[in-house]
Amino acid sequence: MALLQISEPGKSTDPHQHKLAAGIDLGTTNSLIATVRSGKAKTLPDLEGDHIMPSIVHYAKDGTVSVGKSAKLFVCSDALNTISSVKRLMGRGLKDVQKIKEFSANRLTASGTGMPAVETDCGIKNPVEVSSEILKALVKRAEESLEGELGGVVITVPAYFDEAQRQATKDAAQIAGVKVLRLISEPTAAALAYGLDTGSEGIHAIYDLGGGTFDISILRLEKGVFEVMSTGGDSALGGDDFDRAIAGYLVEQASIDKDDRNAYQMAMIKARDVKEALTDHDSVEINFKHWKGSMDRKLMESLIAPIVDKTLAACRRTLKDAGLKASEVQDIVMVGGSTRVPLVRQKVEDYFGKKPLTDIDPDKVVAIGAAIQADVLIGNKSDDDMLLLDVIPLSLGVETMGGLAEKIIPRNTPIPIARAQEFTTYKDGQTAMAIHVVQGERELVEDCRSLARFELRGIPPMVAGAARIKVAYQVDADGLLKVTAEETITGVKSVITVKPSYGLNDEQITTMLQSSVSHAEDDMKARMLREQQVEAKRVIEAVQAALAESGDKLLSKDERHAIEQALKQLAYISDNGDIEAIEEAIKVVDKSTEEFASRRMDASIAKALVGHEIDEI
Amino acid sequence: MANSQQNYFEMFGLEPNFSIDIPKLSSKLRTLLNSVHPDRFASSGAQQQMLSMQKTTQLNDAFAVLKNPVKRAQYLLHLKTGIDTAKDHTVNDPEFLMQQLELREELEDIVAGGNISRLNQFADKISELEESQEEQMSELFARQPLNTEELEKAIYKLQFLHKTLSDIEQAEDKLLS
Repeated sequence: MALLQISEPGKSTDPHQHKLAAGIDLGTTNSLIATVRSGKAKTLPDLEGDHIMPSIVHYAKDGTVSVGKSAKLFVCSDALNTISSVKRLMGRGLKDVQKIKEFSANRLTASGTGMPAVETDCGIKNPVEVSSEILKALVKRAEESLEGELGGVVITVPAYFDEAQRQATKDAAQIAGVKVLRLISEPTAAALAYGLDTGSEGIHAIYDLGGGTFDISILRLEKGVFEVMSTGGDSALGGDDFDRAIAGYLVEQASIDKDDRNAYQMAMIKARDVKEALTDHDSVEINFKHWKGSMDRKLMESLIAPIVDKTLAACRRTLKDAGLKASEVQDIVMVGGSTRVPLVRQKVEDYFGKKPLTDIDPDKVVAIGAAIQADVLIGNKSDDDMLLLDVIPLSLGVETMGGLAEKIIPRNTPIPIARAQEFTTYKDGQTAMAIHVVQGERELVEDCRSLARFELRGIPPMVAGAARIKVAYQVDADGLLKVTAEETITGVKSVITVKPSYGLNDEQITTMLQSSVSHAEDDMKARMLREQQVEAKRVIEAVQAALAESGDKLLSKDERHAIEQALKQLAYISDNGDIEAIEEAIKVVDKSTEEFASRRMDASIAKALVGHEIDEI
Repeated sequence: MANSQQNYFEMFGLEPNFSIDIPKLSSKLRTLLNSVHPDRFASSGAQQQMLSMQKTTQLNDAFAVLKNPVKRAQYLLHLKTGIDTAKDHTVNDPEFLMQQLELREELEDIVAGGNISRLNQFADKISELEESQEEQMSELFARQPLNTEELEKAIYKLQFLHKTLSDIEQAEDKLLS
């Protein structure tokens, strides 16, 4: 049931009408969607009242795709065609994931791109496609419950997600047909959820132990600005590892054949039950297959302690990156269902010397924070409410002679950021240079993650060491990378938006987009036209707002007239033209407002500086 | 008016000096980002978004240089004299060379011994040296006319101390894991 919204007295919703936006926690085990309604962020339940949606997708022989609870029913009965924990496959190579036991019941295969895919009776499914099914199901839930189309979403990713994994997540959203306002990291989202509730300034540590990933982030909150100071973790460590450790014990006790896939799945489910039961009880009886026995908390804790210790080692590193001691942390926010495990809470408390915060449901806190940020980004809140400053989680580098990785942007650098470095040729007459983009902290390229390779060609022949090749890295606010290589003496240039080695190219995305919209091509065109019209409307509104605010101050009469003409033209074409014509008209408006936009930006910087000086006196 | 022609100091409304109040600078950065950050333009046109990304990138970049004493000194020297000490640069200072060798040897001994508290003491000692080096740097930059030879030497020393501190951190990481 959707609730009617009533605006505050005196606060008209027009012209800045409330736009629908949502935050999505796309988790390894479970996913959630949340939105801000009447000033409060809440997760949205399905028709039966369940907020949590299992991140499981089932592909039936007849082509039916089911997601969530209905897909979970097939986990044991049709394990082959049921895909769980697909997040672990995102942006990975087949080699990286073959050992992951969750997929022991699936048939993993290589796709053309080097990314792993799952063979189902309904065809080969790559992880981006599978994730897009989960996103679609969540968006559908939100749009039905809010009775309207979502203007955009914020999707959370583990802070430790690398470039390839972030790009894969964005691709999945594109295929699902949702506009991504921003990818933000899960711990940051959790901090937003807590920060706005308590308004507490200071240093916060976010300890996020989910099903499949572990993140630790150190944030500073000051005057509404959230600044990520450092972040660390392990993208392949989580509560599922607890289950695995316990399942391993069960399988051993019951002397089950290791290749019995269905039995292993059952052991995993049993293990989870045991883990959850031991949260409140000291000991549980276990019936597994022919084996009857029991497990007490002490035994379970001895099985999982090494995994918890691994998380604390990451905490230490991350605090050090922030230049802080554990005692300087004001509070610790616990996120993720696995932080319910008493041993986890105990060890975290011992390490930081403080009781961690657990007020907000650890399963929902990330989605709630994402919804708050989505609400800000879509423009439902006034500007000075809150600002989030994020960093890159892993160093970005380039391969140099001898297989060494030279760091160009070190980890925990605030984004967006651009850095450049000069290289030179090592052979006389060398006309091409291979650029290998890598990510990671290790010195050897082979220990880092390969993101992309490309070549700069057409370098004029010179003696070795004479050419000057400038390699520039630019990371945007989503943490996505663009690399440029340029020979600076002659200006020969090559640009690549890094499409990770294990990823989809634009053509594949388009194909998948087309096949996912199971209608004819006309529908596809109609959708694209509508999207273009929405974009035109957005541009017009934005420019009009800017004109109203500072047109008189910053523009001459003629300049203003030219912009208004371009706007009129765009409004007309948007109603009467085709996709290309609208695109062209938007470009004309962009061109006509170029100088104006730049003056506005400078004016706001000048204002910020002046305002600051006054504050200081 | 703020524009891309401004130097890093001007971007923050500062005079080009070596002494900088870092907490003040970082709060100034946050104030500036509050008005130009891409999140403020998430529903604006592509052009505004591009512009905001460029401005934010410039501010982040400027802050990274000003925050770091070695980079700040190099930048300031370059700004005032055109001398680029970031490129390969040799400094002739035999006295410091000796001190340098001794300090490196001391570090190697401590690391070989694997004693964390000795390593921490050593880190404190280097930090103190770095602090007094920064003070000296401030004085050198305040003198008119600039003694570029002395400044280059001072930058070189500061760079060495800075590098030693990061080596200590790495050594500590290794000892603890």
